[in-house]
Amino acid sequence: MLALRLVRGSRPLVQLRRLLVAATSAGAGFLLLYVLAEATARPAGSFPRLLWALVPLAAAVQFAVAVARTDPATRPREGMDAAGLGPVRLTLAAAVSTTVACTLGSALALAVFLHLRGDLAGLPFDAAGSGLLHAEQPLPVAAALTLLALVPAAASAATALALRPRPATAGLAPQTGVPWGVAVCACGLALQAYAGQGSPGLPAGWVLITLGLALTGPGLAYACGTLVLAVRPGALRLLAGRALQEEAPRLGRPLGVLCAVGAAALTALALRERGTVFAPLGPLTGPAAALVALCAAATLLTSAVEVRQARTATRETLTGLGAPGTVLRTAATLRASALVVVCVPLSWGVAQLTSLALTR
Amino acid sequence: MVAPADDAPPDNDVLWARSLHYSHSGSPGLIGVSVSVRQGEILALTGPRGSGKTTLLRCLAGSLRPEQGEVWFNSVPVHTMGALARERLRRDRFGWIGPEPHLVPELKVWENAALPLLIAGASHRTAKHTACEWLERLDIAAFARKRPGALTRAEAQRVALARALVNEPAVIFADEPTAPLHRAERALLLRTLTTAARSHEITVLLATHDEQSAAVADRRFALLDGRTAGAAVSAGPAETTEDQAACSLSA
Repeated sequence: MLALRLVRGSRPLVQLRRLLVAATSAGAGFLLLYVLAEATARPAGSFPRLLWALVPLAAAVQFAVAVARTDPATRPREGMDAAGLGPVRLTLAAAVSTTVACTLGSALALAVFLHLRGDLAGLPFDAAGSGLLHAEQPLPVAAALTLLALVPAAASAATALALRPRPATAGLAPQTGVPWGVAVCACGLALQAYAGQGSPGLPAGWVLITLGLALTGPGLAYACGTLVLAVRPGALRLLAGRALQEEAPRLGRPLGVLCAVGAAALTALALRERGTVFAPLGPLTGPAAALVALCAAATLLTSAVEVRQARTATRETLTGLGAPGTVLRTAATLRASALVVVCVPLSWGVAQLTSLALTR
Repeated sequence: MVAPADDAPPDNDVLWARSLHYSHSGSPGLIGVSVSVRQGEILALTGPRGSGKTTLLRCLAGSLRPEQGEVWFNSVPVHTMGALARERLRRDRFGWIGPEPHLVPELKVWENAALPLLIAGASHRTAKHTACEWLERLDIAAFARKRPGALTRAEAQRVALARALVNEPAVIFADEPTAPLHRAERALLLRTLTTAARSHEITVLLATHDEQSAAVADRRFALLDGRTAGAAVSAGPAETTEDQAACSLSA
């Protein structure tokens, strides 16, 4: 298998990213199995639980796509093209490699799940979670396998869609998404306020808010760049600001998603302070939230790696002109700090609004 | 700077290199090349592709460190300098223009041209003024506020030339600057380069494999297979290896 050969030859950092993909898909798969076990034991209220369990799945898929984008093995390269392996087949190879990582994760999730239920005997922690995972109820095999296939299928389809060879077209300016994003965010907030806790409207509201922030993200990153460029920039601010503006479409989406995750975390904290404990996934809510936060942060970091790869030529040009390394590093730090300065207040503001909407 | 008398380069040479050796991970790039470049002259480095022109230019410009041999710039040894000092030398005294313009895609044209000044710490206003003056002289002032992506190859190459000229360097290294251009654009770019160099007394090292381009130079320096052309290049052994290669192919 070509995809596996390409996977085997890559550097440790790339392998680590793929391992993380397998781990996050294992987490998402485990949560789905938990929801299934809950549903067999207590069918009432299982639909909102299933909707909530789709959130970690979406986060895992987003991360898998980000990793596939940065994978050096599946990028169109001169050597590959010369060997007859064009962009289309490399896209397929990327999808296969994502499927392999996610399927490994799903298999791991199934093994751990069965082990904790006590179905596989002979290892430590055997049946440690038999109560939580409802070991007394038989697990519907077809349903379990279908749920476990969700992550690999969704991840590979999204990878193939994201990496499909496209003619280079000038995309929309990043700022055009901002009004749409704000509108979608407002819809999400309204839906949350209307639905209240415990109904399927709440996850749907969060989905809308996340979508809205993801739409707003590129425009925000672009605005950050403009801010950095304000009033007679020297080399440092010029490089940092223009790079931010250039990379806004790439960095903006994962940044918006991370903002939404941050807002959700702040909302949960605010609700807890007011005495409402909200746990849609029961005792696994905490681990699920951690998984989503990990995925969102890892996706943003992976996108930063992608940006770094895309800027290799620029970096070489600047080094060739005699730009000292400190200038380049300081410019990168400046970019990151500008994004943090804009995004932390944004998360905080959205969290204020959602907690108002939920405790009205 | 005190150097032994027989090691010091002649005074009127701005760049001077002696018996440079360099290999690209095993395959020889330069084999004992010595060259001297006089103040203000335009020197053409000629030779076919793969003859070591780019490697020689990069050794002289301090972006490659030769494995053996010496490089002196204005009686200062470049081959013993640290990476930081060579970086500063490239930034302040040298200009580089290659076969690809290598402009920074997200910067506007004038910002690209002003980049060496800005990196050297010039103020925004001075850098912009100087860069726009150079763009004016090279007839590309109309594109100053565009992105490099909107330019044709010839225009982008002229922006790269403006960037090389903007800090009025002592030496410009031009590595096949006309390679991607058609003949009319080629002649125009070379004329621009030589005019600017003569009026500002800038030394130019022009690597080219094209006879017409080499004709603008004051002097030529030919390279072949990593050696100074005309130096002993024995034909006998090369033929033998070719024969051996043919044998192993047919076997």
